[in-house]
Amino acid sequence: MTSKKLSVTLSKYAFLAPYMLLFVAFVVAPLVYGFVLSFLRWESMSPLPPEFIGLENYAKALLEDEYFWRAMKATFIFTILSLPLTIVVAMGLALGLVSVKNRSGLYRAAVYFPTLVNVAVVGIIWRWFYSTEFGLFNYFLESPLAAFFGLGPLAWLTSVDTAMPSVVLMNLWWHVGAPAIILMAGLFQIPTQYYEAATIDGAGAWHRFWHITIPQLKPVLLFVIIMNIIRSFQVFGQTYILTPTGGPELTTRVIVQYIYETAFESYRMGYASAMSWILFAIIAVVSIIQFRAMRSN
Amino acid sequence: MQNKGAWKYEAIMAAVAVIFLTPIFFLLITAFKSEGEVLNLENIFPEEWTTSNFDQILGSAEEIPIWRWFMNSLFISSSITMLVLLVSSLSAYALVRLAPPGNRVLFSIIIGTMMVPGQILLVPMYLILNELGWIDTPMALIFPAGANAFGTFLLCQFFRGIPKDLEEAAHIDGCGLWGTYVHVILPLSKPVLATLGIFTFVGSWNDFISPLVFLDSLSQYTLPVGIALFQTSYYTQYGKTFAASLIATFPVIVAFLMFQKHIIKGVSLTGMKD
Repeated sequence: MTSKKLSVTLSKYAFLAPYMLLFVAFVVAPLVYGFVLSFLRWESMSPLPPEFIGLENYAKALLEDEYFWRAMKATFIFTILSLPLTIVVAMGLALGLVSVKNRSGLYRAAVYFPTLVNVAVVGIIWRWFYSTEFGLFNYFLESPLAAFFGLGPLAWLTSVDTAMPSVVLMNLWWHVGAPAIILMAGLFQIPTQYYEAATIDGAGAWHRFWHITIPQLKPVLLFVIIMNIIRSFQVFGQTYILTPTGGPELTTRVIVQYIYETAFESYRMGYASAMSWILFAIIAVVSIIQFRAMRSN
Repeated sequence: MQNKGAWKYEAIMAAVAVIFLTPIFFLLITAFKSEGEVLNLENIFPEEWTTSNFDQILGSAEEIPIWRWFMNSLFISSSITMLVLLVSSLSAYALVRLAPPGNRVLFSIIIGTMMVPGQILLVPMYLILNELGWIDTPMALIFPAGANAFGTFLLCQFFRGIPKDLEEAAHIDGCGLWGTYVHVILPLSKPVLATLGIFTFVGSWNDFISPLVFLDSLSQYTLPVGIALFQTSYYTQYGKTFAASLIATFPVIVAFLMFQKHIIKGVSLTGMKD
């Protein structure tokens, strides 16, 4: 290679250098470091040096730690409740948004705006909604009209049965906007001729929905579902703000919150890293399924 | 299609819009109520509009340095936005157009890490930032955010669509690699850079977990973390917490009103990547 050519190649790498430097320092290094940490016993507040213990952290989480499984269960319940609800509501909103002729920009904005509000603010508003004594929801549920329909005040965040559904409801309002807009964009891509042909053939609205909309929307729908699962496994801010201490009987202490507490309140860095990698493995499996499913489309 | 149907959809969507904006409406209203009135739900609107909540929050800078938090958030989010726009446009230009040896492998690795959830890097990231002495400084939030792969990915996709002739013309005119980047690529990419910039700014303005973990002292907090902490100590003083929340939300409302079209368009594109 001539020195001219070499200098051109080097200057090409110079464009890449700033990003690669950050990428190595703050993505690659923590990934590798975290993996190494997960095989160590390391309490950062204790005078003992880190000690290599092999798979002990993983074994402890998976086989012994009751709280790990309770946190996994809380995360799983959040996902199971929130996924179908989010998809059905997002689909309904998307269908509404494409059907509206006037002021559609305004409706899109209204549906998406909550997503931009910070989780701390969202939590403050909804904690007030859910307050058992002074809350807005119970104010309505205590009214004679509600009593007429057999409704009464709820314990919301303070009862084992309603705490997680309350988190899910707030999350629905906060985060349904993005999937709704994405599905809406998908609906606009479906050629209108399909619907016209089906209508001429006498297909009703329900029939058209199941036999044209759903199959045509499949790739977008799949994307939205998988993204929702991945996000649900990482839920933290929502539960942390609404129930900082983990909710009644720890029913809303999700896995990321348990990892956070293990690392930054109990200072068990090795154990927290091992739990992070277990979570990562679960998310990786979901991501791989996504890639497979998308490729087959 | 049919006019009657359109009217029905419009009515439904108007009702939906009202439901979605109701919590924001209560945020606005409650911030201007006196503490006594907040708990009296008989009246939706305050009998007497008052700024006393704001006066009290802004007046107690020792306990609740809300302007300080506001400036911290503004500084951090602006720095992150500039850093992301700079480093990801440089790297995307290099990966897509300059194509140095190994660019395909690098691209795959970068995109592959988009699947890595930030939460799992929290513990090692904390220890690395601690080694660097950056814990409890804005740098702990700014530089890691620059490594976000999304910006590079988005810009790579966009740069691929820019006609090569323009760069060749610039080359003949004597522009070097840097000149082409500054005079051809960047001006043509204004819309996508705006979209990336808005998303990055709002994303970092609203980031919660990183400042919670990487910052320790009251004077260093960003708005969301400051307000979350403030909420735990003034739990039942709804008027004050709502006023603080409104201050934190105001820039987002302004940004949204200004860039609404860009934002909605950006969101609708995220499902379209293949």
